[in-house]
Amino acid sequence: MSVRRLLIVAAILLLAVAVFYRSWAAGAGATGKLFPYAYSIDDLPNGLRLVTVPTDYPNMVAMYTVVRAGSRDEVEPGKSGYAHLFEHLMFRGSENYTPEQRDALLKRAGADSNASTNQDRTTYYVVFSNEDLEDVVKAEADRFQRLKYTEPAYKTESLAVLGEYNKNSSAPTERLDEALYETAFTHHTYAHTTMGYLKDVQDMPNQYAYSLDFYKRFYRPEYVTVVLVGDVTRARALELTTKYFGGWARGNYVPNIPAEPPQTEARTAHVDWPSPTLPWLAVAFKAPAYSDEVKDKAALDLLSEIAFGRNSDLYRRLVLEQQKVDQLNVDFGNHPDPELFTAFARIKKQEDAEDVREQVLETFARFTREQVEQSKLDATRSRMRYGFALRMNSSPAIAAALAPYILLRRTPDTIDKLFALYQQITPQDIQMTAAKYFTDSHRTIVTLDSKTGTK
Amino acid sequence: MARRMVLALLTTTLLATTPGVQSASVVQPGTSPLVVFRIVFMTGAAFDPPGKEGLASLTAAMLAEGGSRSMTYQQIVDAMYPMATAVNWQVDKEMTVFTGTTHIENLDRYYGLLRDMVLDPGLRQEDFTRLRDDALNFLKISLRESNDEELGKEFLYDVIYAGHPYGHHNRGTIGSLQQLSLEDVRAFYRTHYTRASLVLGLGGGYPKGFEQNVERDFDKLPAGTLDKRRFDPPKLAAGNRMAIVTRDTRSTAISVGFPIDVTRASPDWAALAVATSYFGQHRSSNGYLYGRLREARGLNYGDYAYIEYFPRGMFQFTPDPNLARQQQIFQIWIRPVEVDTGVFTLRAALYEYDKLVRTGLSREAFDATRQFLMKYSNVLTQTQSARLGYALDSRYYGIGDYNTYLREALPKLTVEDVNRAIQRHLTTDRMQMVIVTKDPRPFQDAVAKNTPSPIVYNSPKAKEITDEDALIERYRINVKPAEVTVVPVERVFE
Repeated sequence: MSVRRLLIVAAILLLAVAVFYRSWAAGAGATGKLFPYAYSIDDLPNGLRLVTVPTDYPNMVAMYTVVRAGSRDEVEPGKSGYAHLFEHLMFRGSENYTPEQRDALLKRAGADSNASTNQDRTTYYVVFSNEDLEDVVKAEADRFQRLKYTEPAYKTESLAVLGEYNKNSSAPTERLDEALYETAFTHHTYAHTTMGYLKDVQDMPNQYAYSLDFYKRFYRPEYVTVVLVGDVTRARALELTTKYFGGWARGNYVPNIPAEPPQTEARTAHVDWPSPTLPWLAVAFKAPAYSDEVKDKAALDLLSEIAFGRNSDLYRRLVLEQQKVDQLNVDFGNHPDPELFTAFARIKKQEDAEDVREQVLETFARFTREQVEQSKLDATRSRMRYGFALRMNSSPAIAAALAPYILLRRTPDTIDKLFALYQQITPQDIQMTAAKYFTDSHRTIVTLDSKTGTK
Repeated sequence: MARRMVLALLTTTLLATTPGVQSASVVQPGTSPLVVFRIVFMTGAAFDPPGKEGLASLTAAMLAEGGSRSMTYQQIVDAMYPMATAVNWQVDKEMTVFTGTTHIENLDRYYGLLRDMVLDPGLRQEDFTRLRDDALNFLKISLRESNDEELGKEFLYDVIYAGHPYGHHNRGTIGSLQQLSLEDVRAFYRTHYTRASLVLGLGGGYPKGFEQNVERDFDKLPAGTLDKRRFDPPKLAAGNRMAIVTRDTRSTAISVGFPIDVTRASPDWAALAVATSYFGQHRSSNGYLYGRLREARGLNYGDYAYIEYFPRGMFQFTPDPNLARQQQIFQIWIRPVEVDTGVFTLRAALYEYDKLVRTGLSREAFDATRQFLMKYSNVLTQTQSARLGYALDSRYYGIGDYNTYLREALPKLTVEDVNRAIQRHLTTDRMQMVIVTKDPRPFQDAVAKNTPSPIVYNSPKAKEITDEDALIERYRINVKPAEVTVVPVERVFE
């Protein structure tokens, strides 16, 4: 078969794929539920919410406890990194469980237990066999309501946080992120990373009293949603949650998070990296907060894949054809407040940095002028739906997929609303939204390269 | 298929072999709407020809991230895009695996792409150039210059296996990668991608008859012969050694290890798994060493121990399957510490390790750890892909289903068995230490002069800790000064 004929066959195949997905995406959009599991929502009088998702996966239960406290809530100067510090302190014992007792309980249960923090939330999880459900819920409830740590234990744990900073610090992307957010945000707490500034992390050992305040503020039932997924019934989940979390007193703290004033000028920053690296480029625009009702965020979600994803024109040019870039990524998360839409590129040769920058900027500009192709939009919707479905391959994976949406709307229902909104987005919507957000005055560009060059 | 036999583990797991062609499959049919592929070839970095280190890895990358003969890589990416699928690859010393998961609605379309990528690869020059660059940049930048702990962990293997077929990073060396050609890739593909080295892994809700179609397709591979070479334990001279990798970094990463003669196929595996989980369960606050170094002293973010290769551990909580090997090492991973506590932390780890070897586990610790492992295997195998991966590894090691194997082996163990296994396998005078740090002198001084490394805390500590610290700060690092080498980072993976 000649090369030309092969290409024709391939083209026909691709066309067939595109036609198929157009019909699938339309059909599923009208009828299918993206989150296919039946779930229940129960609100305790104290404000705590329980979401229960029974699944067919036998024996295992995933308990995810989502706290609406992240680095976004760190409003005082010099106090960055405390939401994340709390992720650590929560393993330091509570009134009825010393750390050793808690460890022993989890060890007996063969459990997997950890936690993570981002700008908006702290998520704790335990994955275990259902026979240990009551023991685990009881122990979890104790630390959320009755955390107890001494000042020496606090000081020691704050050093483990410094250790975490240290293990991250050899990656240039951590510093790139720091510079990007502190340049793009002048008022809002998104200006600092979740890990926090090094000077604040180094000062943590001196802030025992502040840490107690932080706990009293945010570790309250109205900030918390418990998600139980797996081999569990609603009745049992509610019974145990009521029994162990029901007495938790509601708080009254509401953080006063400064609004970010509209950005009125393009900003840039540069990071000199002390050791060899490939140059990095980050091009960011202020972008809308999460919404399952207003189209802006959904339109740009779709565009993020179309403009910078693996089958984008830019990826084809920069990574596959010209081979000037070896990593091209886009970051546009779901956040309660407006955050950033950022394209990242790692450039293989310093001399190409300027050209890569121009091509990335032109890609942003292009979609403010041109409409995306309908077929590409349909394929992208399909990709997002299948991508979500493919993630849900175990009870913990389902809980992990849910957790970010629980933070935003406290219900899995928002997932189907969001994907229904994707179905309504047109090429015109995307162009109009791009034109609204991708303007020079909303832009921040950060570059990073090595002072010593690439070896 | 002429012959089928039940692998006897998961009731759904079957091993099919076809005499004459010798290809095999491990299948786990189910009702999930997802279908999982794990296509294994029994080849890997240990089969790289001398001077062509990285060839196995680059060949796999050319299949999974390059075009097939009928489609360019861009066309494949475009076709995969609406299905949200990809073909992932992993090359270890003796195993190469291509993995992918698709929704059942896309099964035929996805499988068609996967099949052509593996059976009829394009092996184009432009893909070769890009993927060789990726491998070089991975070693030069991502590993040498962006992740001190993985750098230390991987360099430890290079040190232990120097001169051995395992003695280079799976991605190759910078020197050898620069010499590789597309013709090398073609030759490696022809020799190693054969029916004899193939094990097909398939799981999930695929339709009846699908499995036979896949087997028929893969029967088109040349028959080949399975390269059954044995890999001997590494020949390490007696004595402990220290390699200090120097680079401009703000902290100090430490890895310690030595070869062990134990794999999942060994009678002592379960016993040593208990000992290692007790001492340093991966990313768990339950490990003994974690308790002493992080929880009691705040030295770093975590401290763990292993008896199997576990790359990328800083990014994941459970290991990837299909890293099965004939030879393994015991490894202690000390996450980065502040520069001024580096020597103290190494001493503390060696002190605690020595205590483990001398005193073993208490009965109570043994009971708790055994119970943990009995249940924790459910966490390890919670996804279809993991279950399939473990079944493929069980086939490699000739053991039953992993969970059943543990559930049968663990109850039979006694604390004495575990402590005997520790004595048998963990008493070593061939310990290799890798340090990644800016200034080697404190470590050199500690070795040469036994210079004490006192520690100052930011909070009062219990007498039990300070008494122990007095021992640790002078604890002898048993390395001869001549056995300390300093390696500038640009020499690593060279």
